[in-house]
Amino acid sequence: MTDAASPLLSVRNLTVTFGSGAHSVSAVAGISFEIAEGETLGLVGESGCGKSTTGKALMKIVAPSSGTIELDGVDITRLRGRALRNARTRMQMIFQDPISSLNPRRRVRDIVAEPLDAWKSATGSARETIVRTLLNEVGIDPDVYGARYPREFSGGQCQRISIARSLAMRPKLLICDEVVSALDVSVQAQILNLLEDLKAEYGLTLLFIAHDLAVVKNVSDRVAVMYLGKICEIGPSDVLYEAPAHPYTKFLLGAALEADPDVTVRGEVLQGEPPSPLDPPSGCRFRTRCPFATDLCASDEPALREVAPGHHVACHFPLTTLGSSPSPSPILG
Amino acid sequence: MSSVLDDVVDPEALAPKRLGALFWICVGWLALNVLGAIFANVLPLVNPLYQNYNAINAGPSLHHWLGTDDLGRDILSRIVYGSRVSITVGIGAMVIGFGIGLPLGMLAAFRRGRLDSLLTAFMYVFLAFPAIIAVIAVLSFWTPRSLFKIIVVIGLASVPLVYRVIRTATLAVAARDFVTAAKVQGATDRRILVKELLPNIAPIAVSFLLIGVATVVTLEGVLAFLGLSVNPPTPSWGNMINESRTVMAQNPWLVLFPSLALCLFLLCLNFIGDRLRTYFDVTEVKL
Amino acid sequence: MSTQLLVVDDLHTTFRTAAGLVAAVGGVSFDLATNETVGIVGESGSGKTVLARTIMGLQPRSNVEVRGSVLLDGHQVVGASEREMRERWATDVSMVFQDPMTSLNPVMRIGRQIDETLRVRLGMDKRAARARAIELLAMVGMPSAEHRYRAYPTQLSGGMRQRVVIATALACSPKLLIADEPTTGLDVTIQAQILNLLDDLKEQLHMSVILITHDLGVVATRTSRIIVMYAGRIVEMGATRDVFFRHRMPYTRALLESSPKVSNPSHTRLRVIPGRPPNLSTLTSGCAFAPRCSSASERCHQERPSLEPAEEPGHVFACWHPLAATELHEAPR
Repeated sequence: MTDAASPLLSVRNLTVTFGSGAHSVSAVAGISFEIAEGETLGLVGESGCGKSTTGKALMKIVAPSSGTIELDGVDITRLRGRALRNARTRMQMIFQDPISSLNPRRRVRDIVAEPLDAWKSATGSARETIVRTLLNEVGIDPDVYGARYPREFSGGQCQRISIARSLAMRPKLLICDEVVSALDVSVQAQILNLLEDLKAEYGLTLLFIAHDLAVVKNVSDRVAVMYLGKICEIGPSDVLYEAPAHPYTKFLLGAALEADPDVTVRGEVLQGEPPSPLDPPSGCRFRTRCPFATDLCASDEPALREVAPGHHVACHFPLTTLGSSPSPSPILG
Repeated sequence: MSSVLDDVVDPEALAPKRLGALFWICVGWLALNVLGAIFANVLPLVNPLYQNYNAINAGPSLHHWLGTDDLGRDILSRIVYGSRVSITVGIGAMVIGFGIGLPLGMLAAFRRGRLDSLLTAFMYVFLAFPAIIAVIAVLSFWTPRSLFKIIVVIGLASVPLVYRVIRTATLAVAARDFVTAAKVQGATDRRILVKELLPNIAPIAVSFLLIGVATVVTLEGVLAFLGLSVNPPTPSWGNMINESRTVMAQNPWLVLFPSLALCLFLLCLNFIGDRLRTYFDVTEVKL
Repeated sequence: MSTQLLVVDDLHTTFRTAAGLVAAVGGVSFDLATNETVGIVGESGSGKTVLARTIMGLQPRSNVEVRGSVLLDGHQVVGASEREMRERWATDVSMVFQDPMTSLNPVMRIGRQIDETLRVRLGMDKRAARARAIELLAMVGMPSAEHRYRAYPTQLSGGMRQRVVIATALACSPKLLIADEPTTGLDVTIQAQILNLLDDLKEQLHMSVILITHDLGVVATRTSRIIVMYAGRIVEMGATRDVFFRHRMPYTRALLESSPKVSNPSHTRLRVIPGRPPNLSTLTSGCAFAPRCSSASERCHQERPSLEPAEEPGHVFACWHPLAATELHEAPR
């Protein structure tokens, strides 16, 4: 599944460094992953772990310092100008703040048509038809709401409009950066379901970035966990949630608040806070908070290694190993 | 209070904003001023340079509604003709100021990087220099003075200010996600500047433009007062007030009416600018 | 009744706006025992924050009308002047807000901000106040409290700032602490730390806590009772387990079912309620949830149901067509 012949997106040693010299921060410190066509990869981690920067680097909103990003076999890190603009239309991104994502001075139908206008790919009635279809698709009546301005909509509706806009150029990869975290619970569920529907209908591949473990679990085929700019674990979501191999993943899952009074209160809570990315710890970046850390963790940085089919972990002492892990349930790629 | 309401009130429920009657009165007054300046020639006004020796320092009368000055010239006529200078300088200088400052400010804020650093440093050096002194210095040496030169000098002097306001406004808008979204959709920079950024900074630009015109009109008054504006006998509000100084005791009308004209003009501009700013602000209230 | 610290009776908070009267809180009654934690759950516009501010006596005089009664420790809050309330804030009731950055003064050292309350309200001298402030910082788990006493809010992480806010709120040992979305902006692991801290402090200081949140996970294991609010009214209230497993109001169920769970398999289709939370200025005489409710009848649109007792003691709900009174949810694994 992961190692399918040609993944849609293939990221190798992606690094994003901000600043220079002594004040440089590697927000993303050399990560590699692949996303197969039609798959949803969840990217979780706490604030400052580099998950959003990863999303932005893929869109080249921030410039990657090194590494390659191959979309359909083409390395987009080398593209400039029109070629880059063109490549971007095959990937789209939806942002966290639905209201900030929409130009307050433009009408909804013009917002959705913006990509078409920018590329002059559809005009007149063709443009009109596409806009109407898209708005209907996301559950917004174009006749009633098409001429309105974003301020007249709630957060959930704004997010729908953002989604409609992102689909205008028929992208293959959709990067969702915390798209539901600003929404009410009931609205959040609507948007998640909508994304699932559109994914099927448009044959999309999703990179779903979020801090909410439950949300990520619900939409992803595979999940990657980031800590301080590195991927510490990546694997099929059911396996990873059931039997996390990295201690950080385990603590993260333990801290997730389940809406269930019967869940054991107070699993072990991870103490302390992530160290500053300005001065990351030597060796394993999680070792300063890890209860199992040894001298080895301080001296050698663990590389990602496979502990079960498709399940990789960057830890010297993974909690599950090849022999002991439960067999992964079959998951469609 | 508003933060509490944001929690409960749907923006659709907010009643449409009104600009208020006073706003329209101000707009009317400004329109009257501008029309007067444009059509001064065809209005039934006495020649502003005609000296009526039978009515020197006369108070308001049927013949001279606002009285005459120490040379027997009609004050009303001189105020109307004088507004030509004031308004031309005000608008002209702002056209230059915005013509240069607005695109530069937007570009710098949108592109950031070295262009921004260079431009901003350059503008701040200018800002550090007291503009009024610079204007006075340049105008003292660049003779003979003409309306055109005055407009150019004041206009250029206003560029750093306009640049700074527009750059700051653009920075705030450029950080919003919809700008990134447009970029990601493949929009060109020019398209982003015109379609995404400009409409959003327009309200700030317009209100600053109005306040800028008011400031320039005042500045022209100051220059005229120092004898650095258009040469007499051409009337401007500033040099009318300047000339009236010497005869203030005999003829208080002479200082009152031009000052009043200037005052009302500035008041209206500032009020409209301020009102527009809040008006556009409120429509941006978010959930 | 003597053990009830807080008795709220038929409380109404109405805003006069350009669009007319907005009943943000429309007749809320509940009480709270000493050393009890009650959770108030609702989406945006449910009036939960306005309710909290009204209980605090924080509503401005102009354009707001407050009716009903809030008896806090036997004293009436409704109609009390700001001067009277000032005597009671910090010592009787305190509040922790969602965004720790806005509730701290960015140009004042955090120690000073705690000191100030102590010196003004408890008349402590400088040295005693400083000692107590450091004690409080240590109590809320601030590492090297003595050193951090001199830090500015911007030098602290979000979690640490929230600890400072909590220390400030608890400086004068209030009898009631109202925490309004205290962990919403925080990371998962930090969220767990803060909630555990609040729990511990509640026991330690023998206070009562109102925990306001949109997240059912926050209240599931940390409250004895839950109040579910919708459109400014209580729609269901009862012991935490009853609300989770034996709820009668369709909205409560919809809220529970639309929140994604970590235990769900991937690509779980969430149950959604159509629409979005209502506009409070256009409420009708019927049940506010009726337009989104699948079992709504004509009666629901005409007539508002009042709170009726369920079988379990203390469990009430407002619905004409309640769900069956059986164990609705099986206790999950």
